[in-house]
Amino acid sequence: MAELHIIGQIIGASGFPQNSLFCKWGVHTGGAWRLLSGLKEGQTQVDNPQTGDMAYWSHPIDLHYATKGLQGWPKIYLQVWHQDSFGRCQLYGYGYCHVPSSPGHHRISCVTWRPLGSWQEQLAQMFVGGGPQLRNPDLIYSGADRYRLHTETMGTVELELGIIMRHFDKYGVES
Amino acid sequence: MEKMAASSDIREKLRKKRRALQDTLVKNKNEDDIQALVPSAKFNVDNQPTAMKEAEGSDEDPGESLRRTLRAQREKRKTKLLEQSFVQDEDVGEVSPTQYNSPNEGPSSRVDDSVVSTRPPTGSQRGVSVKSEQPSSSLHLDTFVTRHLQEKLRAARSKGESLQQQETSRDSSEPVSRLQRLKDRDTITRFDREADPTSSGRDDDPLTLRARVKFREPARRVEKDFPTTEEAYNFFTFNYEPDRPSKPESKSRKRQKQRDGVEEDDRDENGQEEAEVEEEDEAEEDNQDQNEFQSEEAPLVRNEDDLFVIDHSPQDFVEVRKAEYVGLKKRVQRDRELLFTPSFRTVPTSVKLPENTKPRFLEEEGLYVGQRPAVSLTNENISENRILKMAEGSKWFGDDGKILALPDPIKESSTRPPLFHMDEELDPALQTVYRKAMKSQYANLYIAGATDPEGDYQLDVDVSGLIFSHHPLFSREHVLASRLAQLYDQYLSRQQNNLAGHLTEKLNGLRKALRNMMRIHGEQGSSEALQHRISEYSLEVRNTRQLRDLEQEKDRTLLRSIIKVWKEIKSLREFQKYTNTPFKLFLRRENVDRALDEWEYEGEILKEVLELEAESEEQYQKKLAEYNKQLEEWKLWRKKQKAKRKKKKKKKKGQTQDDTEEEEQEEEEEQDQTESEDPFEEAPVKPEVPERPDIGSLEQWVREKASRIRRKPGEAILVPELCTSGGVTASDLCPRAEIARREDVSRRSLFIKILYNYKEVSRTDSRSLSTDFRVHFGQIFNLKVLNCPHSINLQVFEEIGSSYSLLAQVFVPVPDPSVVTGRAPIEEIEFSSNQHVMFDHEGVGSDVPLSFESDGSNKLTLLTSGKLSCCVSWGIGEEGVPLAPPLSQHPGGTHRGLGHLDAVSYIGASGLYDMKKIGEWAVQSRLDPNDPKNTSIMHLLKVASSGEVTDPDYFRLEHLQEEFNFVSDQEMERSKRFRLLRLRNQEAPEFRNYKFVSLLEREVSDKVFQDYEKRLKEGETIDTRQHLDPHRAVVAKYLQQIRESVINRFILAKHHYQLSDLVIEEEIPSIGILGINLFKLAESKRPLKPQRKERKKVTAQNLSDGDIKLLVNVIRAHNIPIRKPQSSKPGQSSQSAVQGSDWYLSQVQVRPFVEVSFQRTVLQTTTADGPNPSWNEELQLPFNAPNGDYSTGSLQSVKDEVFINIFDEVLYETGPGDKSRATSIHTQIEKHWLGSVKIPFSTIYSQSKIDGAFKVNTPAVLLGYSREHSSTSVYDQWRSTQGGTFVRLFITVEPQLVPGESIREKIKEAEFNSQEDERLLQASEKFEKHAAGGYPDRPCITTVIDLSGKTIFITRYIRPLNPPREFLDAFPNNPQEATSLVARYVSLIPSLPDQVSFSATCDLLSTCDQFLTLLAGDEQEHAVLLCNYFLFLGKKAWLIIGTAIPEGPTAYVLTHEQSGYFIWNPSSGQFYEKGDTFCPLQTVGCLVNSDNVWFNIQENPSPLHTNFDITKAKMWKPFFSRSFSHPGLSSVQPEELAYRQTDKAAAAELQDRVEKILKEKIMEWRPRHPTRWNRYCNTTLKQFLPKLEQGRGQDVAESHRVELQNLLGDYRISGFPLHLPFSEVGPIIEAVHSTGVHNIHSSNVEFALAVYIHPYPNNVLSVWVYLASLVRT
Repeated sequence: MAELHIIGQIIGASGFPQNSLFCKWGVHTGGAWRLLSGLKEGQTQVDNPQTGDMAYWSHPIDLHYATKGLQGWPKIYLQVWHQDSFGRCQLYGYGYCHVPSSPGHHRISCVTWRPLGSWQEQLAQMFVGGGPQLRNPDLIYSGADRYRLHTETMGTVELELGIIMRHFDKYGVES
Repeated sequence: MEKMAASSDIREKLRKKRRALQDTLVKNKNEDDIQALVPSAKFNVDNQPTAMKEAEGSDEDPGESLRRTLRAQREKRKTKLLEQSFVQDEDVGEVSPTQYNSPNEGPSSRVDDSVVSTRPPTGSQRGVSVKSEQPSSSLHLDTFVTRHLQEKLRAARSKGESLQQQETSRDSSEPVSRLQRLKDRDTITRFDREADPTSSGRDDDPLTLRARVKFREPARRVEKDFPTTEEAYNFFTFNYEPDRPSKPESKSRKRQKQRDGVEEDDRDENGQEEAEVEEEDEAEEDNQDQNEFQSEEAPLVRNEDDLFVIDHSPQDFVEVRKAEYVGLKKRVQRDRELLFTPSFRTVPTSVKLPENTKPRFLEEEGLYVGQRPAVSLTNENISENRILKMAEGSKWFGDDGKILALPDPIKESSTRPPLFHMDEELDPALQTVYRKAMKSQYANLYIAGATDPEGDYQLDVDVSGLIFSHHPLFSREHVLASRLAQLYDQYLSRQQNNLAGHLTEKLNGLRKALRNMMRIHGEQGSSEALQHRISEYSLEVRNTRQLRDLEQEKDRTLLRSIIKVWKEIKSLREFQKYTNTPFKLFLRRENVDRALDEWEYEGEILKEVLELEAESEEQYQKKLAEYNKQLEEWKLWRKKQKAKRKKKKKKKKGQTQDDTEEEEQEEEEEQDQTESEDPFEEAPVKPEVPERPDIGSLEQWVREKASRIRRKPGEAILVPELCTSGGVTASDLCPRAEIARREDVSRRSLFIKILYNYKEVSRTDSRSLSTDFRVHFGQIFNLKVLNCPHSINLQVFEEIGSSYSLLAQVFVPVPDPSVVTGRAPIEEIEFSSNQHVMFDHEGVGSDVPLSFESDGSNKLTLLTSGKLSCCVSWGIGEEGVPLAPPLSQHPGGTHRGLGHLDAVSYIGASGLYDMKKIGEWAVQSRLDPNDPKNTSIMHLLKVASSGEVTDPDYFRLEHLQEEFNFVSDQEMERSKRFRLLRLRNQEAPEFRNYKFVSLLEREVSDKVFQDYEKRLKEGETIDTRQHLDPHRAVVAKYLQQIRESVINRFILAKHHYQLSDLVIEEEIPSIGILGINLFKLAESKRPLKPQRKERKKVTAQNLSDGDIKLLVNVIRAHNIPIRKPQSSKPGQSSQSAVQGSDWYLSQVQVRPFVEVSFQRTVLQTTTADGPNPSWNEELQLPFNAPNGDYSTGSLQSVKDEVFINIFDEVLYETGPGDKSRATSIHTQIEKHWLGSVKIPFSTIYSQSKIDGAFKVNTPAVLLGYSREHSSTSVYDQWRSTQGGTFVRLFITVEPQLVPGESIREKIKEAEFNSQEDERLLQASEKFEKHAAGGYPDRPCITTVIDLSGKTIFITRYIRPLNPPREFLDAFPNNPQEATSLVARYVSLIPSLPDQVSFSATCDLLSTCDQFLTLLAGDEQEHAVLLCNYFLFLGKKAWLIIGTAIPEGPTAYVLTHEQSGYFIWNPSSGQFYEKGDTFCPLQTVGCLVNSDNVWFNIQENPSPLHTNFDITKAKMWKPFFSRSFSHPGLSSVQPEELAYRQTDKAAAAELQDRVEKILKEKIMEWRPRHPTRWNRYCNTTLKQFLPKLEQGRGQDVAESHRVELQNLLGDYRISGFPLHLPFSEVGPIIEAVHSTGVHNIHSSNVEFALAVYIHPYPNNVLSVWVYLASLVRT
C-alpha cells in the first residue's frame, strides 16, 4: 500500500514546426495502481506564444496513487496538437515518458514523434493540414513492434514533476 | 659579456617554465601550446594531440610514461620551434638580401630570385594560417625577435651539425639552393637533439657559437654559395648597431639558455633515434610552409628590416636527402626473421592430440554435439597451425582433434523480419489514419487510450425497394393477385426444397434396407442386435412416412389453393370486365403413363397397408404380451389371496377339500374378492384382453388418405406457372370507380426516412407508386456515425400531393461490427400498419372488412403491409478496414495479445465470442492442433464442440502480478484512509469539501464512514421516524431518487464548459459608453437621490467563509396591525372602540421593528412608531455555504431561507417592590410577533437582488391586535381595505455572485432525447430566441423538461383535470366558493423550488399526477394544476409565465370571467384583479393554454397595462399560427386524477406528534426558564383551530377572541395561529422559532400551544399551530 504523489506541471513545448499548440495528456498505470485523487488525463489550453518558440501551458498535474505493486509504474503519455489559424486541430506529436521513480523534483523533457504517412499524405498535410494519426493511441506507450512505422521527430515537451513516495521502503523498495 | 653572467639564472628560470609547460601538456591535451608565440601551432595540432594521447594513454610503468611525456614534450617543442623558424626564416630571407645584395637591387626580387631559383619544385601551397601573425607591431616584435633569435641560434647550431653529418647527401643534391637548405636546416632542427651532445660543448659561449656557425658555414659553402661572407659581415655589422642589437642579443642569449635546457632534457632521453623517420616527414611538410612564407610575407617584413639582426640565410639550415629505400629482398629477409606465417596445410591429427591417443568422436558415441560454426578449411588450417606453435597449443584441441568450438550461435532466421515490402499490409496496431485537420468539436474529448473518441465509423444503409403485399389502393383483383403471388412463391420455394420427394426417397431407401434385414433375419434367425435394428428401422419408416404424408398433403393443398385463387381471379376479371394485374397462371399438364402410375400408386398403398398391418400387429403383440404379463401378476396375487383364505378355511373347515371345491371357491372368491381383500394390499385390476386390430379397415383408411393427399393415378401432374405477361386493361375501358382508383395510385408516391437514433438523418427521393405496387429506390446512404448506434429506423412515408403521412416504420437491427458492406445480403423486412383507410372507389382500403363471396360472408380484414428490402452494414474504409466500432472497449491497462490478431481480423472482434466462427477459422487456417501455442484455442474448441460453452473460470490481466504484489487487494480495500481519499475525490456528498485527511491510517476513525454507509444502506429502506408521515417519507425517497438520476443526467451537461465559465473578461467600454461616462462627470450631483450602481460580479470559486454577506435593506412597512387596548372585561371592548380617538391619542398604536434572521443569525432594526413605520436600515447578515463550498452548484442548493419578522415592542411596567416604586420604574420589554416574510436564499441568489413590497404573512388572528385603523388618511383607508401588511425590502448579496447559468441551454446542447417532432423543437427554439431577442426581460417558455429529462412542449401539460370530488360537492351552487376551495387546495401543496430539489437551475415540470404524488413542486407545477382545475370547472384559464416578486420567473394563472380577468397566485391561493397594484406579478411574458402559446409583445408587460385579449395579433404573438399549424399534440397529463381519500386517523396521529415535538422544542429553546403550559388555554385554542380551517383563514375570530378573553380574563394574552402546508416537521419548527414566542422571559409567563392538522384528499395536509403566551396580570 505504497503511495505515490505526482505533483507537477506540463510546462510547455518547444521545437515544433508551428506554435499555437495544446496538449492532451494522460497517465497510464498498471492494474495494481489505484488512483486516490486527482485527474489522470486532461487537456491543456492552446498557447500561442507571442515571443519565442516555446509554448507555455503550465498545466498542473496532481495525482495521488496507491499501489500494491511496482508493475505498471505510471507513465505519462502526451499528444501535442496544433490549432491552426482556422481553428482546426491537427496532431503534432506523440510522446511518453515514465514518471520518475525517485522522489524529489524532476525536470523531464519528453521528445515526441509523429507518423509520417505516405508521400501523398505528406503532400496533403502540407496544403490542407491534418495528418496521419495512430488508429490505436495505446501504441504511444505499448511495446508493440513499431519498427515499421515511419515517423518524424517533433519537438519536446517539458514537464516538471515532483515525486513523493510513501511506504515504498516498507515493502523493500529503496528509493 | 655581462649577459653571460646572468645566463645561469635565466637558464634556471627557463627550465622551470618548461617543466610547467610539460605538466600542463601532460594534463591537458587541448590546451595546445599556450606559450607558442606564433599561434600557427594550430597547424601542427594534428601531431600534438597524438603525442599527447600517447602520453596520456600510457599506464605502463612510470619510467615508460615519463619517457613518453618527454617525447611528447619534445615534439611539441619541436613544432613550436618549427613555427618560429618559419618566422625566422622569412626574417632571414628578408634580412639576408640586405646583407648580401647591393642596396640598389630590389631586395625582394633578389630574394625571390634566389629563392625561386634554388627551390626545387615542391608544391608549396600551405601555411596559410601563419600569415595572420606576421603583422608586427613593435610590441609583438620584441618577443618575436627574441624567439627568432633563439630559433636561429639553435637552427644554426644544428645546421652546422647536420652539415657536418650529411655532407655526402648534400653533395648529391648539389644544385639545390635555398629550399633544400631550408629543408636541411629543418631536419636539423629535428635532429638537433641528436646533435646536442656533440654541440653541447659549444653552448658555453653563445658568441663563439654564433661565430662558429657563421664561420663554419661559409667554410662549407664556399664552393656553392658566395653570399656567406656578406652575410657574416652583415651579421656582425648589424650586431653592433645601437639600441637594437642589445636586445636581440640578450634574447638570443636567453634563447640559447633555453636551448641548453632542452639539451639537458634531451640528454636524459635514451631512445631518441626512434623519432628519426617520423621527424623527417614532418620536416618536409614544414619546409613547404616555410617556403610559402617566404614568398608571401617577404615584402611585408621588409619594411622592418632594421629589426633583424641575425643574418642567417635559410639555406644555412637546409639539407637535401634522398628517400631511403630498403631493397625488397632485404626486406623479405628481415620480415622472415621477424614474422611467422602459418602454413595452410592440413595439420595431421596426431600432432594435435596428445601422444598415443586416438581421436574420439563424441557424436558417434551418441552424445549431443551441436553444429560447428562454418569456417573455411584454409582458415581452420591456418589457425590450427598457428595455435600449435603457441605454448600449450594443444589444449585448444578437443578429443576429436578439432579446435574446440561451441555450437553455432547463429540463428537460421533473423530475429528481425526484413522490411522488404513496405506497402504490404501493416500490423493493424501500427496503422495510422490520415485525419483531416478537424474543428475542435471533439477536442473536448480526452484521449485516454481507453475510449476511442474518433468515431470514424460509417453505416451504409441501402434502401433498395418496397413491395406492398397489401395497400389500401389495391383493387380486389390486386388482393387476389397478391395472394396468388404469395402462394406461388410458397409453391416455388416448396418445389425447390422438394421435401416430399426427399422424404419419399428416404422412405424407399429405408424400406429397402428393412426388407434386406428381414431377409437376413429370415435366413439366419434372429440375433438380438438385428432385432433391435429392425425395430429401429421400422420406427424410422413410420416416422418418415408420416412426415412425407404431411408434406404431400401440404403440397396438394397449396396447389389446390393456387388454383382456387386463380379461378377466383378469373371469375373476378370476367365479372368486372377488366383486368388490373398482369398475372397469369398457366397450369402445365404433364401426362403420365397411366398404367405405371397406377401400379406405383397401388404398390405404395399396398406397402403402406402392409406396414400398417405389421405395425398394428406388432402393437397388438405388444399389448398382448403386456396383457399376459399383467394377467400373470394378477394370478399370482390371486393365488396368494387364495392361500390366505385357505388357511382361514382350513381353520374353519379342516383340510378336507378337493381341488374342485377349490375351483368353485375360486369362482366364488372372484365375486367377493373386493370385500374380502386385505385392507393393506390393493388388488391389481384384472387386465382386459386387447382387441385385434381391424386389418380390413386399414386399407380403407390408407386409400382414403392417399386420395386426399396424393395425385390420383393417371391424373396429369399439374405444374403451375405464374407469369406477368397478361395485359392490363387500359384505363379508358374501365369503369369510373376503377379509373378513380388508378388515378389515386398514380398520385401517390413514397419515400423513406432514415432515422438514426431517432433522428432523421436522410430520406430517399420520393418515387411514385407503380401500378403493381412496387417501389424501387435503390439508394445507398452512407451515415457517418458519431454516436453509438441504438436504433436504425426506416419510416415509410406516403406522399399525396404535398402532404405526406407515415405509413409504417421498420426497425432495422444494428448490424454486428463484422457485417460489412458488400458482404451483407439484402434483407426483406416485413412491415405493416394498422391505418384505417377507406375509399369510395375501387380501392379496397385497409383495415376494412372485405369479402369475395357474393353473399358477403367470409370477410377478410386486410391491413396495409409489405416488404421493405434494405440492408444495413458497416462501411469499408480505404484499405478495406471496416469502419465499425469495436464491440467493446477494452480496459485501459490491458496489453492486447497481438499475436492473435490474424484471428481477430478474420472473424472480427465480435466473432471472438462466437465459438462457431472460431471453429470455422481454426479449420480454415489449419491450425496445428499439436502446436502448444494453439492449445488454448484447441481446448476451447473442444469444450465448445462438446456442448456447453463454459468460459474459463479465470482471466488474468497481468501475469505475475500476484507474485509481486506488496499487499493483497483486500488489504488495499480495507484501508480507511484510501477510501476516504477516494470518496473525497469522487465528491460523495458526505465528503465533499472534506478538508484534511489524516496522514496515518490509524487516525482515520471508522465513524467517518458511518453516515456514508448509512446512506448507502438506506437506498432501499425508508426511515419513517424522521418524517412523521409514512407517505411523505416514501415521497421524499422517491424525490431523492429522481434527483439523483437527474443529477447524473446533468453531469454531462455540466461539464460542458464555455469560455465565459472559465475566463472573466471585462468588457472594453466602447466609445459611446465612454462618452456617456464623461457626460456623467459633468452631471450635477444629487446626494439626496442615491442610485444603485452596477456591481462587479464575483465568481463563486474564489470565495471563502465570511466573504459573502447578505444585505437586507428594510425600508418601510405599511398597514401594520395596531394594538388593541387591553381590557380585562369583555364588555369594554366595544366601549374602547367608541372612545377610540381618545385612546388613540393617549396610547401608542404599535411600536414595530423588523427582525431578520438567516442561518440562525438574528439582526433587528430599531423600533419605529405607528402602523406605517419607516426604518430605512441596512442589515448585514453573514452567509456560510454548506461545507464551505462556494461553487455555483452548491450555492444553488442552499435551502436556507431569510425570515423577516415584524414584531411589536411592548413595554410593560412590572411591579417591583413597593418600596422602590416611588423612585424607579421597571419595565419589561416583550416582543409580539406580527407577521413574517420568508424569502428563500436560492431566489436571492438566482436574481442577485430583490426589490419590492412584500406582503407580510400575518396570522389570521392576532390576539391583542387589530387591523382596523383609525387613520384618517384616504390612502390608508383604501389600503386597509386591501387587507394586508406590506413591507418594502431590498435584499441582495454582497459581493454580487454570478448566478448559476441555467442548465437549460446546456441541456439543449447535450441533446436530451425528446419525443417531440424535430420541426416543433426547432420552431420553439426559434420562438424563444426571438422572444429573448426582442424582450429580454420577459420570460418565454415553450418547452419544458419532464422528470425523465425529456423535452416536452408545454401545451401538453394543460388539460382539464378533475379536482377532488368533495370540493365540488361542498358548494354545488356556488362555483365561486368551489374555485377558492380548489385554489386553497393547490396552495396547500408544499412548494419546493426546483433549484433546491435538483441542485441545478433547470426547469423540471412534473405532470399533475406526479405532482400530487410527490406533493412538492415549484410555482409552475402549482400553476399548471390550478389551471387544469379551473379548466375543469369550466373557466377560461391560461397559464401566465412571467416574473413576480419575490419568486422571480414564475407561473401564475389567469382566468377570464364576466367581471374581468383575474390573476391567481397558485402557491398562495390568492387572486388579484387585473388592476390590482399589489399583485406580485410584475411582468407577463407569455400565456399558455392547451392549444397555443402567446408571447406578450405589448409595450408594458406589467399586468396592469397588459391587454389579455389574445386574439389581437399586435399584442400577442402566437406560437402556432397559420404558417405552422398545431400538429395535434396529445396531452401528457392523465385523463383523470384519482384521489386517495383522506385518512383522518393518520392526521390526528400526526397532529399529536407535531404538538409533542413543538412543545419539546419550545422547552428546549428556553433552557434557563421553566416553561409552563396552560392546559386550559391549550384546549380552548385547539377547539378554535378547526373553525379557522373551515373559514379558510378568514378573519372570523372576533367572537373567539372575546370568548378567550372571557375565559382567561386574568391573563394578558398575545398569540396567533400559524398556518402552513405540511411537508416536513422542520419548517414548522422553523416557523415557530422565528416568531420568537419562546423569548418571553417574564417569570410568570405561561404558554399555550395547539396544533391542528386538517387532511385533504391525497394526503395534502393543512397545519395550524396556535401559539400564545399568557402573562398573569
